[in-house]
Amino acid sequence: MTGTRAVEQWTVAPLERFVTEAGARLTLLMTPAGQVLAQHGFARAVDVMSAAALGAAIVSSTGELARMLAERDFTALNHQGVKHGIFLSGFESPRGRLLALVVYGPDSSVGLVSLFFEELVRDLVATCPPPAPKKPVLAADFERELNESLASLFGR
Amino acid sequence: MSLVNFTAREITCKIVYYGPGRSGKTTNLQYIYSRVPESRKGRMVSLATQTDRTLFFDFLPLELGTISGFSTRFQLYTVPGQVYYNATRKLVLQGADGVVFIADSQVRQLDENIESLQNLHANLLEQGIDVRTVPVVLQYNKQDLPRDLILTHTELDEALNFRAVPSYPADALSGRGVFETLKGISEQVLRRLSEEAPK
Repeated sequence: MTGTRAVEQWTVAPLERFVTEAGARLTLLMTPAGQVLAQHGFARAVDVMSAAALGAAIVSSTGELARMLAERDFTALNHQGVKHGIFLSGFESPRGRLLALVVYGPDSSVGLVSLFFEELVRDLVATCPPPAPKKPVLAADFERELNESLASLFGR
Repeated sequence: MSLVNFTAREITCKIVYYGPGRSGKTTNLQYIYSRVPESRKGRMVSLATQTDRTLFFDFLPLELGTISGFSTRFQLYTVPGQVYYNATRKLVLQGADGVVFIADSQVRQLDENIESLQNLHANLLEQGIDVRTVPVVLQYNKQDLPRDLILTHTELDEALNFRAVPSYPADALSGRGVFETLKGISEQVLRRLSEEAPK
């Protein structure tokens, strides 16, 4: 198992507290588009992205079903397997809607995860800073490096 | 929108391959997957029907490399092309940083191409996004088919490319044009990150 990594540093402390208290094995915080904000427990960045894409898709599709049923969003989804359970939920934050995917083992339970998830949401909402103003990220002459990266990616 | 981690110096961008059914969206991703070294790609996730038609999406995460000191990752998605699956197309399109529209070059598929392009505009608009503000490139796939069955690059540009965005002839099965298309959309998406005030 690996530690916690975050794009948004304000998520780290609440996430680490949640992982410890809920006994979560893997946890992902992401946007509804499947972009990862923070993660705990994943070994490879690319695996994180696959899990986030699938998690966001599940939340999106059940949200759409809820809309068709004139239901408010389903607050959480839980799937229980033999060795693992997964818990998926969305919540509103000052940064807009965010999603969480939690994987837990037999040493935890959906009740424990749900209980501490509420605390996680409260902590995240309390610590979330306002969005930073946009600024240029890449140098204007990024094309040369992009071309080299793509060429090496395709073995050219 | 692209996710930027200034602390770890990482960028993640979402690119969606859009287009009518059987135009070659999944084939593009499969070709990329087959050419990229293990260390630079994740597992390709395909949510498909039993007959291998895309049901929800295909997903391929790529480690592009370091650009301007930022470790850059692309998430490539395809949408299901069949008309029936518009609800899932909308979901996959959420948060896209760029769109690759894969057109089928066959003469008899022109109406499907136009309908799918209109559907892309409608679905973006439904999310409050003007298509003119999103990086888009076109790929004219199946250019390897006999001449009398397909439209030329110029004819397809006239029929579909009214915004004069970059367009690429391709034969995704053999890989021709796949790299150029990915390079084209990558440039457009990353250029926005080099601008002073990204939209």
